[in-house]
Amino acid sequence: MSTRPQEAAPSTSRFGRFVSGDGAVAFVMILPAAILFGLFYLWPFVNGFWLSLHNWDGFSDPIWAGFSNYQRLTHDRIFLGALRNNLIFVVAVVVLKNVLGLGLALLLNRALIGRTFFRAAAFIPVTMSFVAVGLLWSWIYNPVFGLLNGALDLFGLGGLKQSWLGDADIALYSIIVVDVWKWLGFHAVIYLAGLQTIPSELYESAKMDGAGPVQRFWHVTLPMMMPIVFINTILGLSGAFVRNFDIVYVLTKGGPNHATEVVLTYMMSKAFQDGAMSYAAAIGYVLFLIVGLASVGLLALMRRQRLDV
Amino acid sequence: MSTAANPSLSLGNGMASHRRRLGARGILELAGIYAALVLVLMETIYPLLWVLFGSLKTKQEMLSNIWGPPSSLVFQNYVDAWRIAGMGSRIVSSIFVTGSALIILVVVATPCAYALARLRFPGRGLVLAVAVAAMLVPPQVMAIPLFMVARDLGLINNRLGIAFVYAATSLPLSVFILRSFFVTLPADLEDAARVDGASRLAILIHIMLPLIRPGVALILIFGFIEIWNDFFLAFLLLRDPSVQTIPLGLVSFFQQYDSLWTLYFAALTITTLPVIVVFIAMQRQFIAGLTAGAVKG
Repeated sequence: MSTRPQEAAPSTSRFGRFVSGDGAVAFVMILPAAILFGLFYLWPFVNGFWLSLHNWDGFSDPIWAGFSNYQRLTHDRIFLGALRNNLIFVVAVVVLKNVLGLGLALLLNRALIGRTFFRAAAFIPVTMSFVAVGLLWSWIYNPVFGLLNGALDLFGLGGLKQSWLGDADIALYSIIVVDVWKWLGFHAVIYLAGLQTIPSELYESAKMDGAGPVQRFWHVTLPMMMPIVFINTILGLSGAFVRNFDIVYVLTKGGPNHATEVVLTYMMSKAFQDGAMSYAAAIGYVLFLIVGLASVGLLALMRRQRLDV
Repeated sequence: MSTAANPSLSLGNGMASHRRRLGARGILELAGIYAALVLVLMETIYPLLWVLFGSLKTKQEMLSNIWGPPSSLVFQNYVDAWRIAGMGSRIVSSIFVTGSALIILVVVATPCAYALARLRFPGRGLVLAVAVAAMLVPPQVMAIPLFMVARDLGLINNRLGIAFVYAATSLPLSVFILRSFFVTLPADLEDAARVDGASRLAILIHIMLPLIRPGVALILIFGFIEIWNDFFLAFLLLRDPSVQTIPLGLVSFFQQYDSLWTLYFAALTITTLPVIVVFIAMQRQFIAGLTAGAVKG
């Protein structure tokens, strides 16, 4: 990037050039970041792997265990259930956030009175903490005096009333709705930014060719929006894997009977309720591998589609 | 890039009748759009209004009047919630932790991003690659070893300690964003200052920093939402109630007194309303910042 003339470098040795050129300055400028990163990112990352290869409660002497923690994971039914829940969660929220987010953006992209107001309103849940959102929805879902069952009664749909978080068959989906509710405005705003970059001539010429609104969507909007779909998918994907602890913890703590257990809630309960630190570290590593593979796969797909964003 | 539309579709009706039909349809369409938007509005705003209403009701009215606004305003709920949930000390903790973390983040990330964007030195590619790779490793997956490291360093229940951890977890993305801002600045600016004998640090502080203010604002917005609202790392590292932040306080309040609904609603309002007000006041910069960041990468 920076192509500026090299300054006079009288010393010929590598070290001499390093010191008299930008090397020493760069070293000093990067050092604080390197220390911070090393202490709280790199060290835990490496240490976590070491930990996962031992058996350790965090206090006594660690005992070498090889890959036995990972082997145990492959037939830990609660872990496998949590993994399955996590994958359902990821797929559902990513699809819903994209479809609904694009839909909302299309609505907001029209010249409307009060557009700024609607846009701000849709964005408000994004600014709230997961804890606040979770507490709010735990009242909405409350089977006795909650808003949702109340609304169903009001519209004469009392037969649809549920124990939204207490029923093992639907609790996970109730949580998915909450996550989508919180993030919808965020994804819609990104889609909106993308929609505004589509040149209006494309729509004009499609209109001239007699394409209706639906055809214009499929043949102009969607192909032009593919890079934004990828951005939203990447943002949603990494978030959905690792940002579900707060919401699950507040709403159900993984219950009833592990029906809403996700990998992070299980990891935390293993570590701090059962004191199985190494086992929990192995769970974290497996989650890292899955998230990493998913992200790298998506990026590779993006590059193959030549979507440089 | 795809074809705009299939040419075989252009079986032209008369242009005039086409336009009239669109007009009639247009009004219907507009009504439909407004109906959909009002639905979205109901679904996002009403629950929040419901909390606000509930926070001002008596406990009896909470049950008899579920939907509507309160008949009389019970501000005592706020006083009680503030006291019982220990809001004062939680707010102080949250401000201290978030403020320290953001200061550390900017002080540490800016020179690093500058060096990566503007200086030539051996190992630059490696540092950049590490920053990008780190963005693929969410800090949540290494919560357990992070807890161990913090414990070994004596940083459990230490608010300044967790501020350093937050700064570290926001570091890779922030360096990446700031670097992309530095890269776009013209080189002549800096070269002129160098000819005048200014040091790199002076150039960074006096010339470059003012120019990348939007970039700094962006990482501060990202960082603020992330750190102010965080529950997970605070839950991991702040175990003593006297140092806990707002999200932790809300959860423990909720778990201890699970029949004081009106007080929860008050506590929830106290913690969410200020952020919403700030957001509404500067929503243009806020949304512009977030989309710029997202589209930049």
